Amino acid sequence: MTDILIIGAGLSGLFASILAAKRNADVTLVSAGHGGLSISHGCIDVWSKATSSLSLSRLKKNHPYRIAGKRALNIAMEAFEDIMHDASYPFSGSLSKQLFIPTAIGSLHCTAYAPISLAHSQMTKGTPIAIASIAGLRDCFPEMLVKNLRSNGYLVERSISLSLPGSEPYRDLYSTDLAYRFEDSAYRDQIAQLWKPRLSGIHCLGIPAILGLRQPNQVYQSIQVLLGIELFEIPTPPPSLPGLRLEQVLFSTAAHFGVNIILGSSAIGRIDRSRKLKRVSGITLQTPSNSRQLKAQKVILATGGFLHGGLIAHRDGSIQESVFNLPIDYPENRKALLAPSLFDKQPYEMHGVRVNSRMQPLDLKGEPVYENLFSAGGIIAGADRQSEGSRQGIDLATAQRAVEAALE
Amino acid sequence: MNQEFLPTDHCLKCNICTASCPVASVTDRFLGPKAVGPQAHRFQHPHYELPDVSEEWCSSCGTCTLVCPHDVPVAEMIAKMKERPNREASWRDRIISRPEMLGRLATRFASIVNPLINSSRVRAALERYFGISSKAPLPTIARTSLNKSLRDYYVKSPNRLEEISRLTVGYFHGCSTNFFEPMLGELAVVILESLGLYVFLPPQVCCGLPLQSNGLFDAARKLANKNIKLLTPFLREKIPIVGTSPSCMLAFKHDYRAILGIDTEESNLLANSTYDFFEFILQFVPEEVNRISYRKVVAHALYHPPCQLRGHGIGTPALTILRRIPGLQLEVSDFACCGVAGTYGVKSERYQVAYAVGEQLFQKALAMNVDFIISDSETCRWWISKHTKLPAYHPLEIMARSMGIIT
Repeated sequence: MTDILIIGAGLSGLFASILAAKRNADVTLVSAGHGGLSISHGCIDVWSKATSSLSLSRLKKNHPYRIAGKRALNIAMEAFEDIMHDASYPFSGSLSKQLFIPTAIGSLHCTAYAPISLAHSQMTKGTPIAIASIAGLRDCFPEMLVKNLRSNGYLVERSISLSLPGSEPYRDLYSTDLAYRFEDSAYRDQIAQLWKPRLSGIHCLGIPAILGLRQPNQVYQSIQVLLGIELFEIPTPPPSLPGLRLEQVLFSTAAHFGVNIILGSSAIGRIDRSRKLKRVSGITLQTPSNSRQLKAQKVILATGGFLHGGLIAHRDGSIQESVFNLPIDYPENRKALLAPSLFDKQPYEMHGVRVNSRMQPLDLKGEPVYENLFSAGGIIAGADRQSEGSRQGIDLATAQRAVEAALE
Repeated sequence: MNQEFLPTDHCLKCNICTASCPVASVTDRFLGPKAVGPQAHRFQHPHYELPDVSEEWCSSCGTCTLVCPHDVPVAEMIAKMKERPNREASWRDRIISRPEMLGRLATRFASIVNPLINSSRVRAALERYFGISSKAPLPTIARTSLNKSLRDYYVKSPNRLEEISRLTVGYFHGCSTNFFEPMLGELAVVILESLGLYVFLPPQVCCGLPLQSNGLFDAARKLANKNIKLLTPFLREKIPIVGTSPSCMLAFKHDYRAILGIDTEESNLLANSTYDFFEFILQFVPEEVNRISYRKVVAHALYHPPCQLRGHGIGTPALTILRRIPGLQLEVSDFACCGVAGTYGVKSERYQVAYAVGEQLFQKALAMNVDFIISDSETCRWWISKHTKLPAYHPLEIMARSMGIIT
């Protein structure tokens, strides 16, 4: 029997597990695989609308931010920054000002918090910079990147192609391959020898995000010293390191605080299915060998939305919550879930479980379905995370609120 | 496990597996699990071989399957690609994949074999003529194997079991415990008995995993079917099987069905009734486990959960016990694999890559200045111990020490 059982190892699930473990709860985290965090941009979007700033009172009453409250968001961000600081992977940013981080194709990603190797690009606006591509790195498009960065106001003076030490690789390299190499200080010395002569006259260089996975900040600082110039990183298409680093930090922090992490098994339903209890006594876990029961005092559902396994859209138009079969609103006509264009606001984004201020999933009458079930992150209805640019902020704020309520 | 669905079509090509692959990031010879598994599978012609042979570099650690968010059995697909007829395997691969045969031979001549294994000349010759890396650890052969020291614990069939009301469990020792580390098996039995269980050794043969990892599926299937046949009578009496070697237990739980393709009522029964040692005691006798009073073990240790244990999908049950031991300051490794992956790292042509996979783990252990390593899998213990020069123990040994069973 565990105090708190968390289902899902994305940003909200991992963050919730750390918050609860830090408060000395006995925490078990269950996840079928790695969550969406692996392929995320690794920054924290809170409200990325260039046209308006976040004002909770202007949001609809059922918006997760409004339900969780400003206080939850503030506490969550503070806790998040602390975790990252303690893990030597500091973030830069605030709730009051936007950052604009260059993407792999040179567009700007509006976000609230970014790891400092990415956020450093902000400092370089208005000063001359160079952009590097790496020979042999997969999905590296320097021409497009430079063109778009220029049209976005960056003074890109030069674009250079840097080669890697050693023999020709047998295949295109992923950013994760290079991250592993950069973690070796002898490799960094070789890089410095090879690159330094090519960097004369360059004060600041933007390079693809390849500078380490496990000790990224240490790698970032040391390579800047070795090369004698300022660097900032630009994320690559997946596998992209900023998301992987964030995931890595959260997994090891959770393990450090004693969270019992069960990866590779799925939560497939609750124990005591037949009985009409207002409590969840635990979940049934499908492991590679059999199904078994996992008992818990409190459960936090952090399985995400349609893209992450928390919600299932059936062919008949119905929407199902994947673990507890919680009530979900859905339109009569399935077509109403999708906008005509891929790039429009997608109506399906708004669907999910409805919750109260304690993050408890509600039934159609507005009562908590189970008194000890809470939820966090993408499973919660009421926000268009994509067009709002609010995904990570909602993940953190609702996780904070769910843990607080579960431990009350 | 449902074998019918088309796993390639479940692949979203998100690359989460490639990003997590311990081998791909250290060698560009391996294309990565996505490319070699589901991606190559799409273009596979039923009658032609794949032109790419990079699957040879896969160490079968299973991390890709574990991290896949969309249920694609990536590692299983790659494992199946490695299947080859016996005649195509080298003599080395045919021999190192038969630990039972090796162990049986070697225990007879333990006093001769052990000094030979440790002789640098012999190791150089093994490297040169046989392709066994001289830098890889080889186990020490026990003078008395477990099946001799615990001879009286063998029970041939369920009707020979004593009529007692206690919870009964069959202990599967596997080859390594039998021939190389019999003390581990003895400790397992002592601890299970101290928790009030009736323990016996069912008839058993090698689980077959080393053969499977070396692509020798026919021979592996023979052993698998033999084990299934030997164990089924006990399983039908609802007697669970418990083991201390996570790789053998993973073979029972998963590989027989998902890789060797033995999908029968009996193989499912075996999978459903097999438990890791710590998983078992926490699930079956939790109250007795809670009553254990642990003595202090003052030490700083690094616990590394082996890739094969991760494959069980049960988390790290040993940690639950280890964390209760007073005085034990624990660090937990978050590396997906130590590199050796059974027989992979022992091979000359793979040694460098296997070492590179584990290097950061070794460095971490040394940098943290731990007193010893704790890991559930024998090959991981030998491998990490060899490269860090630190002692490595099974969590069971630390538990036994804390219970005052050994000093």
